[in-house]
Amino acid sequence: MSSEEREVDRRARFEDLARELIDPLRRYLARRTDAATADDVLSETLLVCWRRLDDVPDHALPWAYGVARNCLANAERGERRRARLAARLSVVAPPTEATREPDTRDDEVLEAMAALRPEDAELLRLWAWEQLTPVEVATVLQISPNAAGIRLHRAHRKLGEELRKIQRVSGHEQSREGSGS
Amino acid sequence: MTDEQDELRDRLRAADPAASLPRTDPDRVARLLEETMSHTVTTEPRTDDARHRNPLTWLVAAAAVVIIAGAGVFVMMNGSEDPGAPIAGSDPTSSTGEDSVTELRAPGAGATAGRCLPVTAPALGGATVAFDGTVQEIEGGLVTLRATHWYAGDPTDLVTVRAPSENLQALLAAVDFQDGGRYLVAATGDERLMVCGFSAPYSQALAGVYERAFGS
Repeated sequence: MSSEEREVDRRARFEDLARELIDPLRRYLARRTDAATADDVLSETLLVCWRRLDDVPDHALPWAYGVARNCLANAERGERRRARLAARLSVVAPPTEATREPDTRDDEVLEAMAALRPEDAELLRLWAWEQLTPVEVATVLQISPNAAGIRLHRAHRKLGEELRKIQRVSGHEQSREGSGS
Repeated sequence: MTDEQDELRDRLRAADPAASLPRTDPDRVARLLEETMSHTVTTEPRTDDARHRNPLTWLVAAAAVVIIAGAGVFVMMNGSEDPGAPIAGSDPTSSTGEDSVTELRAPGAGATAGRCLPVTAPALGGATVAFDGTVQEIEGGLVTLRATHWYAGDPTDLVTVRAPSENLQALLAAVDFQDGGRYLVAATGDERLMVCGFSAPYSQALAGVYERAFGS
């Protein structure tokens, strides 16, 4: 294959890959940061995929989430973090007074998530929002599948406990059919 | 999965902040693809780095030769076992004030001739400090950068590069530091600034070298 053909082939492979990744990555980022940072990090993540196209595994999405995670961590480490912190927090831990989609929001579950350790909350987001299996979660977080399974199980338990605490405080116990006592 | 887990998952999904995010508009997808693919990719790492160096870099590199000579720490093309890049002057990391600071020192003027290595990821990989930052101030022989991205080293908010005042112009020439400019800067294990094009104004090509050297 000539170098021109290789280049054309490479571009075609990347386009297929990127079309598959862009929407899930945008959702991943929208769940974790403000819009401006999400745009920046999406571009950076795609750039890493483009440069490392040969390293991208067949099941690309969890790997790409892992890249986005690193890029996001870098973005937030920098100066931009300070300026955009308020916007970011409103996504990660929405305030009790509804500022977005008040009709559909489950405040209790978000409150319970906010009470968890950040690592546990992130595991649960990957599981529930990105709908990943423990093996895929392990790829994103670069931990062993076994560790991901165990931590996920623990995070479920903690989220359940937090929810029961919140329901006790807000007097919703009866709606749980007595299971939360 | 247990019923309780099913219920938790359903509740979490109902609270998904991205649930209402519309699909990316095709124009934007096309633009993103084009932007991304406009960046150079290295398939043959050695040749790429040199091929995409712009003429300014060679000028900067030439200026840097003079600077390196001053530092007295450099890589001779023969006789040196150091596989690393040219390096120049040092000072340990320290902290002052509210912002954490990494201090680097620039070389003075000197007499010995040195030569630059090509700016490649393997050569850059020896750096233990590498960051992307913006010049916040140039004053009194001190260039202060605010770091926005750390490729290597312990992240600090600020990085200062100190040059003896008579050599400030030489330093500015070597790395072309300008107020408000964005730079990629590297230093070796003992915090010695790497010049010769390793520390230079931000460019996608150089950022690519940094990325390959330090991973994403």
